[in-house]
Amino acid sequence: MRVLAAFARHGVEYVLVGSMAMAAQGLVRATRDMDVFVSPDEGNIERLKAALREVFHDPAIDEITSADLAGDYPALQYVPPQHDYWIDILARLGEAFRYSDLESEVVEVDGVPVRVATPRMLYLMKKDTVRPQDRLDAETLRQRFALEEEK
Amino acid sequence: MPVRKFRSVEAMPPPPPRAPLDPQNLKIACDLSALAVGLRPRRFPPGLHRYRTVEEASRRRERWEALGE
Repeated sequence: MRVLAAFARHGVEYVLVGSMAMAAQGLVRATRDMDVFVSPDEGNIERLKAALREVFHDPAIDEITSADLAGDYPALQYVPPQHDYWIDILARLGEAFRYSDLESEVVEVDGVPVRVATPRMLYLMKKDTVRPQDRLDAETLRQRFALEEEK
Repeated sequence: MPVRKFRSVEAMPPPPPRAPLDPQNLKIACDLSALAVGLRPRRFPPGLHRYRTVEEASRRRERWEALGE
């Protein structure tokens, strides 16, 4: 929550996806990562880095660049110095999903607005991936939220 | 609540889902995740790792999860 609070303070444009977004939508489980989709524009990435620097004192944060995220490296994993979890920073998912495509909604947690992907968006993002857990999640989302099966 | 018996953990039903967008959901997930980290501490290579695709990132993630490298 410290990271999400820092995102809010710095005005980072992001959408929470993955397991933590599933949790926000009521499907709670333990996870070792937090996945965020971000707008890869330069101003937003500078705000993202400022927010992360507020939480972690780590020079590796300087290596996050808009050029990577908007270019050849749309998926970054940041492991903070304490090593026990990581943050996936995504700018696009294949050719199918970009930040601007994401449907999202806001939940306020202790005064912190948290932007999370909708159940339908999470379903669409997870249903065709190679990871078995993602396909299980997609089916759970489809049943829980009575979503139409999409090809 | 009566005692319910199962032949394996896999046969146990998952906990009931919580209301979507309940502000407590994320806090519970954070607490649960912190507990999991405490029960089974793992170390991952610190720093920034770049991937050309999410699939590439997932493969690395699976290696981390399997080996705790």
